[in-house]
Amino acid sequence: MGKKKPGIRDFGRNGKSELVHISQKDLMPLPDIPGEDTESDPIRSLTDRQKATYEHSLDGVSAVAVPCPKDEEEEKRLIKSFLEGLKKLLSREDNWMFLQQLQQTLDCCIKCQVCSDACAIYVASGRQEIYRPMFRSEVVRRIVNKYLKKGGRLFAKLRGNDIELNWTTIARLAELAYRCTMCRRCAAWCPMGSDSGLITHELRKLFSQEMGIAPKELHEAGSMRHLRVGASTGISPKAFGDIIAFMEEEIEEKTGKKIKIPVDKKGAEILLIHNSGEYLSWIENPAAFAVIFEEAGLNWTLSSELYGYEATNYGVWYDDVQFGRVALRQIEVAKKLEAKKIVIGECGHATKGLVILADRMLTGDFNFPRESALPLLENIVCTNRIRLDPRKNDFPVTLHDPCNIVRLMGIIEPQRKILHMICPRFREMEPHGVDNYCCGGGSGFAIMSHMNFSDWKLTIAGRIKVKQILDAFKDVRDPSVKKYVCAPCSNCKAQLRDLLAFYNLQETHGISYGGLAELIANAMVDLKKPFIEW
Amino acid sequence: MGGVVAFLFYGSILFCLIGSSIKITGFIKTPLHLKWEYYKGSSVYESIDWWTRAPTGFREKVVTALVDIIFLREYYRRNPQYWFFLYLFHLGIYLLILWHIWLFAASVLPDPEGTRGYGLAWGHGATILACIGTLGILILRITDRELRLYYAPLHYIKWVLMMITLAGGFYAVHVYFGGSIPAVLKYVRAQVTFSDTAQKFHPPPATAAHVLLGSVWLVYLPFSHILRLFFRYYHGLRFDEVPNVPGGIIEKRVKELLGKPVTWAGPHIRSGKSWRETATGLPDEEGKGKAG
Ligand code: SF4
Ligand code: SF4
Repeated sequence: MGKKKPGIRDFGRNGKSELVHISQKDLMPLPDIPGEDTESDPIRSLTDRQKATYEHSLDGVSAVAVPCPKDEEEEKRLIKSFLEGLKKLLSREDNWMFLQQLQQTLDCCIKCQVCSDACAIYVASGRQEIYRPMFRSEVVRRIVNKYLKKGGRLFAKLRGNDIELNWTTIARLAELAYRCTMCRRCAAWCPMGSDSGLITHELRKLFSQEMGIAPKELHEAGSMRHLRVGASTGISPKAFGDIIAFMEEEIEEKTGKKIKIPVDKKGAEILLIHNSGEYLSWIENPAAFAVIFEEAGLNWTLSSELYGYEATNYGVWYDDVQFGRVALRQIEVAKKLEAKKIVIGECGHATKGLVILADRMLTGDFNFPRESALPLLENIVCTNRIRLDPRKNDFPVTLHDPCNIVRLMGIIEPQRKILHMICPRFREMEPHGVDNYCCGGGSGFAIMSHMNFSDWKLTIAGRIKVKQILDAFKDVRDPSVKKYVCAPCSNCKAQLRDLLAFYNLQETHGISYGGLAELIANAMVDLKKPFIEW
Repeated sequence: MGGVVAFLFYGSILFCLIGSSIKITGFIKTPLHLKWEYYKGSSVYESIDWWTRAPTGFREKVVTALVDIIFLREYYRRNPQYWFFLYLFHLGIYLLILWHIWLFAASVLPDPEGTRGYGLAWGHGATILACIGTLGILILRITDRELRLYYAPLHYIKWVLMMITLAGGFYAVHVYFGGSIPAVLKYVRAQVTFSDTAQKFHPPPATAAHVLLGSVWLVYLPFSHILRLFFRYYHGLRFDEVPNVPGGIIEKRVKELLGKPVTWAGPHIRSGKSWRETATGLPDEEGKGKAG
């Protein structure tokens, strides 16, 4: 590539200019996309006003909208606050949740760079040094070693701890914490158990929990709104009631089936919770669940209680406190309804959050049974509890593996068994399963599009996924052949929606996307019309 | 001089033991962490009512960890060239550690002559493997841009020191003891039985140098990542499927941890309360950090 790559030593220098500037020719090529050979920059420049207001010296992108400090005093205060937060990350009281993993990661990197090739962002960006998985960890490691450990400044260079801690370093780190989707592909590749995705998580926590710095979409309009209104989408319990009524009408119109969707039914076997974004953007997914569950004769319910109709928990991505608050409230609803268990719909972070992460926060009767919907769907389909005709799904289908469900939970086979049963033209993407690539919308990116961040997430974070999708369908390029990318996760769907639109893949390649339940519903033998509308 | 060598050598053993114990106790006492695993294959979460299923067995965990640690499996998969030298080095070092243990054991056996042939081949063979590994790693770390990046100067010094240590051992056995295993065993026997204090306080320079370098590594061990690697939450990362069951040991520990104070200063967190209270409370109740 010829140009000098910025190293860690440059990280705290020249705060007025961008550490890297990404141009189109740097990016991993996408030969099948027309117009990809343009000279214009893939990421729009911030306006002069935005530049004057927000920190952007990492790569010219502002995801977090960190305000520029007014004066030196403020800078000093922020540096102090950052160091305080870093100390707390390493404390047994303040960060018992992740201390062990953090220490392991800080202590055990031998700079073998095995993780670099694992990272979709690093590779797609044309191997920009700053996006290397261990770059982020190494910056943090050096700051900890130099500024928090006794004698850290002694022979700092010799020991590889040369870094300057100043406001530039911190501002760039804040942005860098939002250039990683926490897919943890790098961690799974690391032979030393060092986890650069975890460093992202911990950094985001530090900024949010100590300094009050977090992207608006995740915090103010995300978890704070969730706690206040009942859902991060802003749906109130009343609005939810209206949505259910609308959904029942839709189902009748589409399937000819008059279904009364169970809401707030006491003592049901299953409390089903969807990502509330489904109700707003992809109502066909909760509708498909309703149709399938009713047909299978399950004893289930939805909840219209505050917090009971929202599976998301944005705290998973940036804040342990917010995470705990939301998780407790979700469990509370299930307890009140006297359900036997919570089943989480097609949402990756919500499933991992409530099933796995929350596990060691819940005690007593809050330790409520919780599981993913995928094994249940597998059971319904593979034990023929409903009648299905695979010929109804006679179009090419590929599967996107949501990181949270597959690599980070080990739920790999149920969705595949279903697709093999009901989609005769199912084909895998490469690589897939636990080796999958993130869609580029992970860790909250799917809902973040402030300033020029959406350019970044579509041209860089989602780049490899676009290539994978095109490759999966390369035997059927004809745009008149309808193709389906199945993504059993709301956030992945949001990112896929934006990617398909951005690269114009629906028009040029006939590629659409949707969830898993829709494909099952589409294969049901006794529906009036096809469930999937292209 | 000799006294200093003996003092440093035994001191370093003591230091290593105490230092390692402190470190390991620290690792063991680290609080229970939230589950944060990744999987390389299907897990219990693929089952309906997964909490009723048995988590991955202890044997499987141990076998996986051992294969990873002994054969460095992940390196083999991801960077075979680097793995080759890394593996030679590790194999050599593992064999050398066993060889030293054997030396101590065999030195007190009555018939040192019987060990002549294989003892020498074992020691030299292991040293050569470790040397090739060290050299290969050093060369790759210098010539390969990826492997050079971010690698601290101190680590290069360490590899050179390793080379010197290995060469020193080879020299001591081959030149000083004339390649005679019985002579080495006799020397070791004098050391472990404390029978020849004259030799201990006036050690031959070749063995003194080797012993001193060995001491440096013993002192380094508690500070290195090696201990943590063996005590890594490996099983936690790969197989943390054990559910927190009501009334169980995990729940007991979680209850304690939830009582710890939160001192985070973010505007949506009121510090000073326990984790339990903080999570139960709402940010708005605290009158701060109103959502926009
Ligand atoms: S994080 Fe792991 S894989 Fe990456 S450089 Fe460090 S040790 Fe190697
Ligand atoms: S977690 Fe994923 S996106 Fe983040 S550094 Fe690792 S591989 Fe890259």
